[in-house]
Formats: sequence, C-alpha cells, structure tokens
Amino acid sequence: MVTAAGVGDRFSLQLTFLLFLAVVVVTLFTALLTAPQRDEIGEFYLGNRTMSPLRNGLAMCGDYISAATLLGSTGLVALNGYDGLLYLGGTAVAWMTVLLLIAEPLHNAGRFTLGDTIALRLPQGQRPVRLALAICTLAVTTLYLVAQLVGSVALLTQFTGEPSALTRTLCVVVIGTIVIVYAAIGGMPGATFIQVVKAVMVISGVTVTAVMVLHHYHWNVDALLGAAADHSGLGTRFLEPGLRYGGSTTSKLDFFSLELAIVLGLAALPHVMMRLLAPRGVNVLRSSVVWAIGLVGLVCLLAGVLGLGATAVVGRETIAGTDRKGDAAVLLLAHALGGGVLTALLTCLAFVTLLAVASGLTLAAASSLAHDLYGEVVRKGRAKETEELLVARLAAVVIGVLGMLLALVSWGANTATLAFLAFAIAASAILPTLVYTLFWRGLTATGAQLSIYGGLLCSVLLVVFSPVVSSTPASLYPDADFAWFPLQNPGIVSIPVGFLLGWLGSLLSGRQETEAYDEFEVRTLVGADQS
Amino acid sequence: MPMVSRNYEEFEQPQTISGATEFQALRRVRRRTGLRLTLVAVGGFLLYVLLSSFTPGLMNSSVAGHLTLGLALGLGQFVLMAVIARRHVVHMRTHVDPVVRGLGHRLRRLPGENRQRPTGSTTAHRTQGHRTW
Repeated sequence: MVTAAGVGDRFSLQLTFLLFLAVVVVTLFTALLTAPQRDEIGEFYLGNRTMSPLRNGLAMCGDYISAATLLGSTGLVALNGYDGLLYLGGTAVAWMTVLLLIAEPLHNAGRFTLGDTIALRLPQGQRPVRLALAICTLAVTTLYLVAQLVGSVALLTQFTGEPSALTRTLCVVVIGTIVIVYAAIGGMPGATFIQVVKAVMVISGVTVTAVMVLHHYHWNVDALLGAAADHSGLGTRFLEPGLRYGGSTTSKLDFFSLELAIVLGLAALPHVMMRLLAPRGVNVLRSSVVWAIGLVGLVCLLAGVLGLGATAVVGRETIAGTDRKGDAAVLLLAHALGGGVLTALLTCLAFVTLLAVASGLTLAAASSLAHDLYGEVVRKGRAKETEELLVARLAAVVIGVLGMLLALVSWGANTATLAFLAFAIAASAILPTLVYTLFWRGLTATGAQLSIYGGLLCSVLLVVFSPVVSSTPASLYPDADFAWFPLQNPGIVSIPVGFLLGWLGSLLSGRQETEAYDEFEVRTLVGADQS
Repeated sequence: MPMVSRNYEEFEQPQTISGATEFQALRRVRRRTGLRLTLVAVGGFLLYVLLSSFTPGLMNSSVAGHLTLGLALGLGQFVLMAVIARRHVVHMRTHVDPVVRGLGHRLRRLPGENRQRPTGSTTAHRTQGHRTW
C-alpha cells in the first residue's frame, strides 16, 4: 500500500468532490451551449477563430500543463532539489522552438491537421503520409491519454489508500466519460472553454500557494532555500546537481535525453499543433504564443517554489514516505499551510487538469482519425462535411473508450514514463517530418513515411529494451532481463534516427516535387490570406 | 450539402512571387534569425543541462547565501527566454511584417488589378488592433 495515512481527511475529500462536481457541471453545460451549431468541420476542429491572444494563450497553456507537471514535477523538485528544478526549466524552454520556428509557417500553410500541410507540400504522395501521421498521432495521444487516466487513479490513491478494483474502475470510467462528452459533443469550442477555465484555475491556485510559501519565509528566498536544504536531510547536496541523475554517466545522458525529447517534442504534439492553427490572424497567433510562454514560464517558476516549499515545510522524509515518486508533495504542503480547504482546492485543480488535457488529446486524435484517415485515405477526399463530422464524434468516443480500457489494464503504470514516451515519439517521429516539410526542398513522400515509421519504431523498441521494461526492481517485468539499451529515455538516439531516415529516404527515392515547394514556401512565409 | 473544398484553389498563383528578390531576402532573414534565436534559446538550455551534469564543481560555487551559480543560471534561463521572445516579436514587427504585407498585397493584386491602391492606413489600423488583449 502506497499511502498508509494519505494526505487528506474525509472533510477535504468531500470538499474536493463537491468542488469537482461544480466545475464539471458548469463546464459541461457550457460545452453543450458553445458546441458547434451547424455541422461544420471547421468549427468542430478549430473552434472560435477570433479569440483574443490572452484567451488563446491561456488555452495553449492549459493544453500543455498536465497533472504530471502540477504534481509530478513539484514532487521531483521536493525529492531531488536541483535536478527537479532543471527539469522544470526544460518544460518552459520547449515553447521557444514553437514561437521562433514552427508556429507561424505551420499556421500559414495549415488547415486542420499536419496532414493538410503535407498535402500542400507533397500533393502527389500525400495519402500514405497522412496514414503514417494518423497512426503516429494515435500512438502519441493514446499514450498521453492513458497517462492522464492512470494519473486520476494515482491521485485518488493519495486520499483513500490503494483503491479497490471497483473504485478504480469507477474513477477511470467517470473521468473518461466526461472527457468523451467534452470532445465528442463540445468539439474544439468545448475543449477550449475547459482549457481556459483550467488554466485560470491552475495559475491562480499555484500563485496563491506559492505566495503562502514565500510569506511563510518572510519573502526571503535564501531562507526558503536554506530551510529546504535543512529539512531535506541531505544538507547542501539538495541544492546541487546530481541527486537523481548524477549517479553515473549513463544516468546523466539519460537526463539529457529526456530534456531533448521534452524541448523538441512539444512542437510536434498533435493537440498543441491544433491550437496553433486555431487563431485566424498570424499576428494574433504570435501574441498568443508569447502569452503562452509567459504563463507557462510563470507556472514553472512557481512550481519550483512549491517544490522547495514542500521540502522546507513538510520535510523530504514525509513526502517520500507518503508517495515514493513524490506526487503527494503539493498536497502535503497545502495541508500544512492551508489545512483541508487548500488541499481540496488543489486536488480539485489536479482533477480538472487531468480532465482538460485528456479532452484536448481525445479531440486531437479524433480529428486526425476523421480528417486524415477517414476523409483522405478511406474516402479519398470525397466525404461530405456532415459525414466527416459524424466520424470525428464517433472517433472521439472510440478513442476515449480505448483510453479507459488501456488505463484499467495498466493502472499501476508510472504516468511520467508514459508521458515521456509520448514526448519521445512526437520528437522522433512527427518532428522530423514537420521540420522537413516546412524548411527542406528535398523532402519526398518516401522520406516522410520512412522518418515517421522509423522514428516511431525506434523509440518504442528502445523503450521495450530499456530498464523501463525489464532488469530493475521498478521495471514492468522485474524478473526478466532483456534490457540491452541502458537509457530510460530513447530521445538521444531516436530523434537523430528520425531525422536521418527522413533525409536518407528522400535522397534515395528520387522523385521530388520541387515545383510544389516553391508555391508552398510562399504560403509558409506570406500566408494565404492575412485577414 | 456542399462538398469540402480540399484543393485550395481559392489561393492565387504564388509562383510569380517566389522568384522575386524581395521574397528571397525575406526568406533569408526569416531562416537566419529564426535559427539563430532558437540556437541561443534551446542550445543555451541544453548546454546548461550538460554543464550541470558534468561540471558540478563549477555550478556549486556560491553566488550569495544558498544561491549557487547553477541556481542563478537556472533563473537566468527564464530571463533569457523573455529577452529572446521580446527580440523576436520586435524583429518580426519591424523587419518581417511590412515585407510580408507588401508581398501579400502583390499576391492578391496579380490578376490585373489597379496597382495604385493605397494600403498604408488600413495596415496601420490592423497592427493597432492586435495590440489589445
């Protein structure tokens, strides 16, 4: 049993339940009200295209900050000090690539999915590439979705101790069903609404708690650092690098590999890409991404304060004793500073976060399936809008159910591992095609397919043959040993492999579509319409 | 029910633009500055990660109180991000947007329209409009 005592009493559990119910009821009603009125795929996929930059930025921030960031990274800081802070830095820096390189060209040459951009760039060989992209999108989103749903069980565990099979199933099914309703009925307008609500809740919740921590130490950061070091039981070692990833060169490389996947993978996450296509004007998009960077940066900085505060106030021993991965850190801190009410608020926040990220992912997977797979590959572009929309709604249901089933089977899995694998796949399978499509004249359809399938296979295989699956006590199969790849994060190998395969495949296949590239390049830089 | 328009024919012929010197210059500027800034932001961070991993002695040197050089550099990453984002936005607004706007008008004017249409006032209006939030 992970939690003997748990972090909350009955009162805060009941309060959490009431708060969560209130948020869900309000957002569900709004999702129903703002759902696409007419059967238009544009509105279902992109939502309101005339939102202000701040609201777009909030939605982007909401899509990005998952419960893993909120609970997992603060726990990482609380247990590992410096190494955890380093990880938080990467979470924020990832947005710079989006702002500087990807966002505007993709927006100018995009429509609903990455497949549409590729159709402009490679008009001849678009269908097989769309198929490959749809498969890859499905892999990334399903992994990430399962991570969110498994996270909900882990969160419940904090309160009730190890839940019974019935409680577990109930938790996953309830959360999954709400997610399906948001995605299938609300479409992008519904998902955007819950993203904005959630982002505002997260930012205010984290700010309030961080202010309480800083106030506790009389706004003296040095005192906070000192107290954290003292109560970590490790002294100044806590504020020095290497506590978690410094054991050997292998673990240092492992951490670098993880950072690489996070920094590069963000730009290729399907639900983030959909957000980039949503604003109509490129100026609005730019301001939105700048807002997103500011908000994500703020949350990451404050999460660092919360992590340090948790160690300083609660103590590292207690945090590690409550949950081995440190996921309880913020909740323990909230209990110590603000009692049951603050704990309930932050727990509710975490549940809403799970819900919002999961619905964004379901929507991204559904649009890729309906638009790329059904609309273009199966029906070869002859599907009516109403038909495609119906498929999109059905696909959202199917993906939601698939996610629930997988989450129930693998409920004990480590959410962070699942999320990191999703990032690694995005960075090694989708990013090379995205970058080549936008910036390289020589890309061919064969190259794109080779890089997508190759990057996907490479990252998955490397994880299968890594310590994640076998050879260590924390592995999936602790008794077996076929882990010949020493790193837990495949990024450092699989990202170069993805790029290399795309380049090689393009060189060897020969048939290039350079005239399409000239036209495409004008589109990426000047845009189709500047309204 | 209308069929979905999937052939993107609503957009005018951009081939004529791609050879223009103005466009080539725009392309170079976008690529060079975009790559350079990305390299500074992402490369800087990855370098910081490597330094933390492989030269802990340097990163542990104290700056003030419990604040070590490593922690200070970590905070510096956030400052660097803000500076780069600011530079990018200013650069785009002053060097890229006007050229793009000009090319965009050319793109739309190509099918034999009057070339003397005044555009200054409307574009100024537009930039103003996006500043609000």
